[in-house]
Amino acid sequence: MARSARGHEDAFAELYDLTSSRIYAIVLRVLRSPDHAAEVTQEVYVEVWRQSARYSPDKGSVVGWMTTMAHRRAVDRVRSVSSETARDERYAHSGTVRDVDQVWDSVEQKIDVERVRKGMASLTTIQREALTLAYFGGYTQSQVAQLLKLPLGTVKTRIRDGLIGLRDALGVEA
Amino acid sequence: MSEIHGAVGSYVVNALDPSELDEFEAHLAACPTCAREVVEFCETAAELSLLATVTAPPPGVRTNILSAIKEVRPLPPELPAQPVVADPGESTPRRALPGSQVPSAPIPVDELALRRARRRTRVLTALVAAVMVVALGLGGVVYGLVQQRQSQIAQDTLETQLFSAPDVKVVNTASLNGGQVSFVASKSLNRAMFVATDLPEAGAGKRYQLWTIIGVPIADNQLDGGASTKQFFTGNVRDAAGLAVTIENAGPPPAQPTSEVLASAEI
Repeated sequence: MARSARGHEDAFAELYDLTSSRIYAIVLRVLRSPDHAAEVTQEVYVEVWRQSARYSPDKGSVVGWMTTMAHRRAVDRVRSVSSETARDERYAHSGTVRDVDQVWDSVEQKIDVERVRKGMASLTTIQREALTLAYFGGYTQSQVAQLLKLPLGTVKTRIRDGLIGLRDALGVEA
Repeated sequence: MSEIHGAVGSYVVNALDPSELDEFEAHLAACPTCAREVVEFCETAAELSLLATVTAPPPGVRTNILSAIKEVRPLPPELPAQPVVADPGESTPRRALPGSQVPSAPIPVDELALRRARRRTRVLTALVAAVMVVALGLGGVVYGLVQQRQSQIAQDTLETQLFSAPDVKVVNTASLNGGQVSFVASKSLNRAMFVATDLPEAGAGKRYQLWTIIGVPIADNQLDGGASTKQFFTGNVRDAAGLAVTIENAGPPPAQPTSEVLASAEI
C-alpha cells in the first residue's frame, strides 16, 4: 500500500515539476502577490490531486484543465480579499524573478509565446483589452464594462469574440 | 444566438458575477453547444496564460503540496467501476507489497480491499496518463527519450519500427523501486514494449510480469530486473486499453495479478 501511494505521489510530483512554473505564473499574474499566489498554487495542486481520477480527455488537455482551475481560484481569491491588499506592491518592488523552469525555458516555449502574442495582435483593440482585463486583471465583465466605458453586452460579446479570434489564430482544434 | 449563450467567453475567463454565473451554469448544463465551446475556450485561455511571465513558485510550495496530498484522498472516478472479475479458483489476495511472500493457502477475497486496490490503480493510471499528456504537450521530455532510444537501437528493426510508428505512444511512468519505467506502444503495428532502467531484481523466485488490459488483465511476457531492460509484449496490443506490470512468482503466470500494479499506462 505504501508503495502504491508512493507510486502515484511520484507521478504527481512529476506532474508538479512539469507544470508548476506555468500554473504559478498565471496565478501570480492575476493576484500580483507572491504570498497569495503561493497559497493559491498549493490549493490548486491539492485540488488537482483530489480530482485526478475524475480528469478525462473530454474535459480538454491536462494543462488546459489545470490552468482553468488555477485561473478560477486566483480570480476567486482576488474577489475574496480587498483588492487593495491582495494586489500588494511587493510584486512590483521585489524584483526577484526566480529561475525559469528549465523545461519551459526553451525555444519551444518562446515560439509558443510569440504565437500567442501574434494571435492577440490579430484581435481588435477592444477585444484585446476586454480579454486582457478579464483574464489577467481578474475583473468581472461588469467591471471591464465600467473600465472601458462600454455597455455590458458589448463587453460580453468582445470577450467571446476575442477568444474565438485567438482560438482561430492559434489553430486550436475545434 | 441567445444572450445567455453569449456569456460563454466571460464564463471561461471567470468574469461573471455570482448571479450571472448561476444563470449561465444552469444554461450550460442543458446546452451541448456551450459545453463544447467551454472546453475549446479553456484550451485557448490556457494558451493565453503563456503570456504571464513564467515563474517558478517558491521551493516551499512543492514541499507543502507533497506533504498535503498525503492527507487527502483522491475522489473516486465519476464513472461506475468495472464489474469485478474474480476467478473463484484463483482467490489469491492482492498483496500490498510486491515481492513479499504470497501465502499458499487461499484467503477469502476482501471485496473492499479489492475495490480499494482497483481505485488506487485507476488513480495511478489517471496520474500517469496526465504526466504523459503533459510531457507530450511540453514536447521535449518524451521526444528526448525517443531520440535517445532511437540511436541505441538503430540496428534493431522491430524496435525502430515501433519507435518510429506514426501512432507511437510513449508513457514514462514514475520511478519504480528507483528505476525508470516506460511503456512504448503502437496500435497500428500491434506492438508494445516495456523499457526500464535500473530496475531492481523482483526478488527470490519472482519475476516482473507484464499484462495487457483488454477488459481484464491478460498475462503477457515476463522479465527480470537489470540496469537496462526491455521486453516486447506478445499480446493483442491493438485491442488493449492499457499495459501494466506486477511482480509474480517465476513460472507459469497467474490468471490475474496477485500483487499491486507497479506501473501502468493507458494506450
